[in-house]
Amino acid sequence: MAAYILRRLWQMLPTLLGVVVLVFLLFNWVGGDPAYILAGKMSNPAQIANIRKQLGIDESYWVQLWIFVKQIVTMDFGASWSTGETISHVLSTRLGPSLTVLVPLTILETLISIGLALGVAYVRGSLTDRMVMIACTVGMSISILVYIIVFQYVLAYKFGWFPVQGWGDSFSENLFHYALLPILIGLTVSIAPSLRLFRTFFLDEISQDYVRTARAKGLSEPRILWVHVLRNAAIPVVTYVMSNLPALLIGAFLIERFFSIPGIGREIILAVERSDFPVIKAITVYVAAATMLFNLLADLLYKAIDPRVQLK
Amino acid sequence: MNTQTSANAQPAHAHSSPGLWIMAWRRLRSDRLAMAALAVVALFLVTLLLSALGLVAKHWDAEVGVNYAPPTFMGAQSAEERGVEGMHAAEAPVPDNPRDPLGPVLKQLRAERDAAAAAGTGGGDAPLDYYGIVDPLAKEIAELRSTLGKDKAAAPVRRATLPFGADKWGHDIILKTIKGSETSITVGLAAALLATVLGTLFGALAGYYGKWTDDFFNWFYSVFTSIPYLLLILAVAAVLQQKGVLTIVLILGLTGWTGVFRLVRAEYIKHKNREYVMAADAIGASDMRKMFVHIFPNISHISFVQMSILTVAFIKSEVILSFLGFGVPVGVASWGSMLNEAQNELILGKWWQLTAASVAMAVLVTAFSLFTDALRDALDPKLK
Amino acid sequence: MSCRLFFRLCRALSLCLTLLCLCVWPLQQAQAADPEKILHAVFVAPENGFDPAISRDLYSAQVVQSIFETLYTYDYLARPAKLAPQTAEALPEITDGGKTYTIHLKKGIYFYPDPAFGGKRRELTMADYVYSFKRLLDPKLASPHSWLFEGKVVGFDELAAQAKKTGHFDYNAPVAGFELLDRYTLRVHLKHPDFNLGMILAHEPTSAVAHEVVEKYRDVAGQVMGHPVGTGAYYLAEWVRGSRIVLDANPGYRGFTWNFQAGSDPEDQAIVAAMKGKRMPQIGRVDIRVMVEDQSRWLSFIDKQVDLVELQGPLAPKALINGKLRPELAAQGIQLSRIIDPEISYNYWNMQDPVVGGLTKEKIALRRAIALAYNPQEEIAIVWNGEAVPLEYPIPPGIVGYDPDYRSSVHYNPRLANALLDQFGYKKGADGYRTLPDGKPLTITYSARADSNGRQQSEIWKKVYNSLGIRMKDNMMPFPDLLKAEKQCELMSRNSPWIADYPDADNFMQLFYGPNTHQNNNGCSQIPEYDALYAASQKLPDSPERNLLYHKMARVLEVYAPIRVGYARYRNMLAQPNVIGYKKHPILHCEWLYFDMKKEKK
Repeated sequence: MAAYILRRLWQMLPTLLGVVVLVFLLFNWVGGDPAYILAGKMSNPAQIANIRKQLGIDESYWVQLWIFVKQIVTMDFGASWSTGETISHVLSTRLGPSLTVLVPLTILETLISIGLALGVAYVRGSLTDRMVMIACTVGMSISILVYIIVFQYVLAYKFGWFPVQGWGDSFSENLFHYALLPILIGLTVSIAPSLRLFRTFFLDEISQDYVRTARAKGLSEPRILWVHVLRNAAIPVVTYVMSNLPALLIGAFLIERFFSIPGIGREIILAVERSDFPVIKAITVYVAAATMLFNLLADLLYKAIDPRVQLK
Repeated sequence: MNTQTSANAQPAHAHSSPGLWIMAWRRLRSDRLAMAALAVVALFLVTLLLSALGLVAKHWDAEVGVNYAPPTFMGAQSAEERGVEGMHAAEAPVPDNPRDPLGPVLKQLRAERDAAAAAGTGGGDAPLDYYGIVDPLAKEIAELRSTLGKDKAAAPVRRATLPFGADKWGHDIILKTIKGSETSITVGLAAALLATVLGTLFGALAGYYGKWTDDFFNWFYSVFTSIPYLLLILAVAAVLQQKGVLTIVLILGLTGWTGVFRLVRAEYIKHKNREYVMAADAIGASDMRKMFVHIFPNISHISFVQMSILTVAFIKSEVILSFLGFGVPVGVASWGSMLNEAQNELILGKWWQLTAASVAMAVLVTAFSLFTDALRDALDPKLK
Repeated sequence: MSCRLFFRLCRALSLCLTLLCLCVWPLQQAQAADPEKILHAVFVAPENGFDPAISRDLYSAQVVQSIFETLYTYDYLARPAKLAPQTAEALPEITDGGKTYTIHLKKGIYFYPDPAFGGKRRELTMADYVYSFKRLLDPKLASPHSWLFEGKVVGFDELAAQAKKTGHFDYNAPVAGFELLDRYTLRVHLKHPDFNLGMILAHEPTSAVAHEVVEKYRDVAGQVMGHPVGTGAYYLAEWVRGSRIVLDANPGYRGFTWNFQAGSDPEDQAIVAAMKGKRMPQIGRVDIRVMVEDQSRWLSFIDKQVDLVELQGPLAPKALINGKLRPELAAQGIQLSRIIDPEISYNYWNMQDPVVGGLTKEKIALRRAIALAYNPQEEIAIVWNGEAVPLEYPIPPGIVGYDPDYRSSVHYNPRLANALLDQFGYKKGADGYRTLPDGKPLTITYSARADSNGRQQSEIWKKVYNSLGIRMKDNMMPFPDLLKAEKQCELMSRNSPWIADYPDADNFMQLFYGPNTHQNNNGCSQIPEYDALYAASQKLPDSPERNLLYHKMARVLEVYAPIRVGYARYRNMLAQPNVIGYKKHPILHCEWLYFDMKKEKK
């Protein structure tokens, strides 16, 4: 087991290296020049040159790449160019708000989707099944931008059910007050695709031999679904949820902007607008590493759920 | 596209499911919902074609209505209610500068100018050279002014209401939505085609050759999927710089191939050792021929379904790209640019543009998705 | 971990001690600020940080101005903006024809207690100002505000040049131009006459910072973005970056009695009646939230979560009608403070560009035709929802040197514009688009920021070029790229905004001065006639002679058309009924020092 984990971690290195080089090329080589923003509106060429020197972007690309690699190895990305805030502080403070929305969202989304998917899988082929699927398809066809604008206006402002936007200091206030509408919007856009996907996972399992065997043994249909099918379908479900998690961190940027949640997604958009490379690079590398780790974790969970799986 | 692929698929080999596409079509025919969805999609495609040929919505950018003209059933609104008063109204008042800094020199100059204007010998908006500034074009401009005369062209009449309302510029919303659907669907289809071609090509190479080719593409795949999608999009957008509809197609296509790759690669690994490939090998078929003439027709349905899924996803992504400022160029309408323009309109009570773009998009995307589902079920009946 | 805890404990302890000391000292003035008066304010964009020498965005500047103090400030009510002493005793004594300034500092001003001062009370002296000025020219800091002093003070640039060579800025080295007569008196010697130094010394980058604080908290780059310690009325009590900033009244602040004079404006008179004689500041806490999206800001204001909000263009019709507050909002007691921002927007054509640039007659005719085909009223109505005023020349109202009587010779006249192009041989081809006189294709690239305003402006200009039969290509770029291309004279045309750093016309007229190319002469225009006039205007204080020069310069810009002057936008501030005496100041960023509010009922 330990050997397997080590080997997998070792295999991540080339991928991470690829990510590093790609990110470096995309942002240092062709990306904007932050010096012009940092120089203010009364800049002159001498001052631009000085800022480039202070930031180290006048060095050759090889030197800059080497510095970047060193930063990754030491996990010290320095400070943001526009605010002077250390990257570690940026990440540690923005992660909390993002997770406050994303963790409940993911848990709720998974539970609700599994429940509904099992339900429709149970009545597969019926009118209910078809109606639910059509409703999901319709729900998925509307842009998240429209959901945010309409929900914020109608549910929060017109009906007053939720705060319009905002973020507080205490965790419970954030979770039970401010994060509610963002989570609701998140659920609205994410349940439909998950439900559709999970339904196919369950249907895949239902057509397997062991289900026929179970039926032949006279087990009740709910029992077959809830115990046998769910257990086996849990593998693709877990992979899907796990591998989606790191990407969600950034994908929630629209929600974070509209609801003024100081999370990672909003931060990265801001960093791109400011050409704040240290922040962009650090977040990319960390999210890439997290994506790989979560994939590994998903594989390990496979094993835990289904001992038959051979880790190779 | 449908029939074409099936035509290609038939003569290639007699082995596995020769009538895959024909059988799928028969299954689809019996699915009423799928046919309805297909009809809706076809309707959109016909509109797209008409619009692209310039037969419909050619003059969508004509300013036919007043700004924010409401839909006809709501009745006309006053300029004040529309909130855009003032365009042709008198200049807004400018606060007085309590210290009049001008000395007697300028006072006198003004008096001279006004006197000249009163006497009809100059002034008005004729170029002044009281300041001693030599105008190199003074002669030409003076001549042109005198030939053009004073009369001004009459402003075109604009309608107070339109059947589906107007946007802030006075464009007819229904025409704009039609033109927008042309752009959005074209972008979605083209980007999906690009992503599918890339994914299929990479997947075929990786799956067929295996070994280091497979390792390389797998590495490439994991690098692409590890970088957050949003950052990838922003980075590719920064690299491409040049703005245009093609840029959006490239951004989406170059970042969206990974899903197709994974599926196609798995299929090639499965197929490459099958008998019919061996047989082709025995008659000396080249690798390329085996890959694309022999194997591809057997897995083409996977690429096709993926392309259909991607089309829907990309039509939605265009909205987000517009929000991020990487949308269609100026003078081109798309659903994404409409939704972004309408972002603040709901709160102002001008809901028609938001509604028109959302509904058009929802109807197409729903129909397309339902059709895709039915198609997938028809092509892969074991799922049923 | 435990080490850090210990450190924190020490810090908390020392802070307690300092506070205790502060209580023991006889308070000079009873603290007027009421902790129950909490102002909820909004930032439209996230702040960067609060180092006066480094902060470069408007929102950070608001916080900087609340915490730090400059020698001068502006009178709260006087319009156009009028300079007033802040930490200085009086307005500067200007001698030697504008080359020598003598400034006296008020005695007994103290920094907010901070552990950096080792528990001692730290008085503000003129040396702190000189230290703070030096930071602006320190090459290591690379301050965006270095232009405030560059090329002005005797011996200062030489010190900076030396630091660039050695890599170390010597803060102890004396500068001949900053002569400290005693602890509280500074005499500034300038290289050239300059009548705007007083306004420069009211600009928040010249605020006083204490060297102890810088030495204790600076990061590798030498900045102190996260630990502001000043002498001002507020201190930073809580800060969640990019989300929330809480400013509390500084208990050690000296305070002042509200005594501003009203002009003829009845609004001003009401403010004076409500505020006169109050001890300031009254507001005990300013709680600022960052809200990026228009819809979010507006809904929170209407929901009464926010006391003071800036109403931006897109949503203006929601609250305004014909430039006045909507009656239903006025009935609720909501207040509007509306000013024209000290800014201009102008479209420039790159004068170095082979297609639109140059001073030959046909190029001048091309630019003038485009200038004549542009209708600022239309852009104001559609892009800005009517929230702007068209300008006659590049100086906006409320700026020293502005003349309301100046009239431009350029008026919207598309027929004349087309006739002018016909006259100069820009013939229309079969496709309906014009070519250059030599028959080569004519395409003009218009660049804009890749956001919704940039897009709408591009659409306006597309209409302008279409009305002339000129092909326009739009080029929407992310802001950093746009800025870089612009400073390198690579853009063909763009609508450029400029907001005043100080309320003097010079700050605007320098935008078109040839030698400022690559700085902020974005159109890279080099018109000898203009440059000669500008150089002459620099030698004059505000006077009819200088204004005459400005008129001539404006005329040069109309005749050669390197730019088309556009408009200045309104700034609309909405306040809830509980806010008392609020009036938006054109230059000051934060007014909470000068107004009052009713206590929160909670």
